[in-house]
Amino acid sequence: MQCIDKRAYFIYNGFMENGRIKKWIVIFAAVLIMCAAAFLVLRMTGERGNIAVIRVDGEVYKKIDLNTVAVAYDMEIETEFGYNKINIAPDGISVVEADCRDHICIDQGKVSTEGVPIVCLPHRLTIEIEGGDIDA
Amino acid sequence: MPKTKKLSLMAMLTAASLIVFVIEAQIPAPVPVPGVKLGLANVITLIAMLLLGRREAGLILAVRIVMGSVFAGGVSAFLFSISGGVLAYAVMCITVTRFPRKMLWVVSALAAVAHNLGQLLAAIAVTKTAALMVYAPVLLTSGIITGAFTGLVAMYLVRRLDKTRQ
Repeated sequence: MQCIDKRAYFIYNGFMENGRIKKWIVIFAAVLIMCAAAFLVLRMTGERGNIAVIRVDGEVYKKIDLNTVAVAYDMEIETEFGYNKINIAPDGISVVEADCRDHICIDQGKVSTEGVPIVCLPHRLTIEIEGGDIDA
Repeated sequence: MPKTKKLSLMAMLTAASLIVFVIEAQIPAPVPVPGVKLGLANVITLIAMLLLGRREAGLILAVRIVMGSVFAGGVSAFLFSISGGVLAYAVMCITVTRFPRKMLWVVSALAAVAHNLGQLLAAIAVTKTAALMVYAPVLLTSGIITGAFTGLVAMYLVRRLDKTRQ
């Protein structure tokens, strides 16, 4: 019986014992809510762009105007960092194959709006959608 | 603590953190955002900080980052790991004595947030893609949640360890 009491006391102690703990819970909760709101806003407000900018290790690898793409095609990018196969379609651009460990770049799916880029960190590859013209 | 005992404890903690790190690297990411992960290896860093001290925890962390990149990662992973690790370590050093033991999860959450932001800044610097900033809210959120979790794990583990030593 005493053992259970002690455990309950520990748990109670661990979470809610004084105002200082409560204060930090409130701070973290507030940050969490603001983050959720910020991310939703960033996601929703992304405008449709047509220029896909592919970067490898910070250098622009290729710029593709998605409006000039009539039929979807694949492009292989092989660099010193690794291999990615990219699908370029009129309605967006996505990574379909990669030899990185986590395949996060593939999971990110197809992008067609400004704002949220595709990134394959182990291969230092990013694909970003921009508006405007190809020369801009 | 005698020198030999301390050395063997440090070696054991380093090995444990490496094992945890390598196993965790095998778990697929739940969300398609680079940098979101549990960070269980930080439990060991926290424990080392409480049992041994800041300097020792820093050494264990440094060895884990270097060896961890060798075993599960690569040159790129090392770069992001070290920039996140250094920031998180700095935050932990500053905050660990300012909070009571039972608020270790706050220390851990702050460190995890620092770690994620450090990684994000390194990622932006390497890829020169400023648009990666949109991941900041996601990484902040995941840092608080995973950090609080690993902090609680470390807190209860240290409590157990204290008991066994008596």
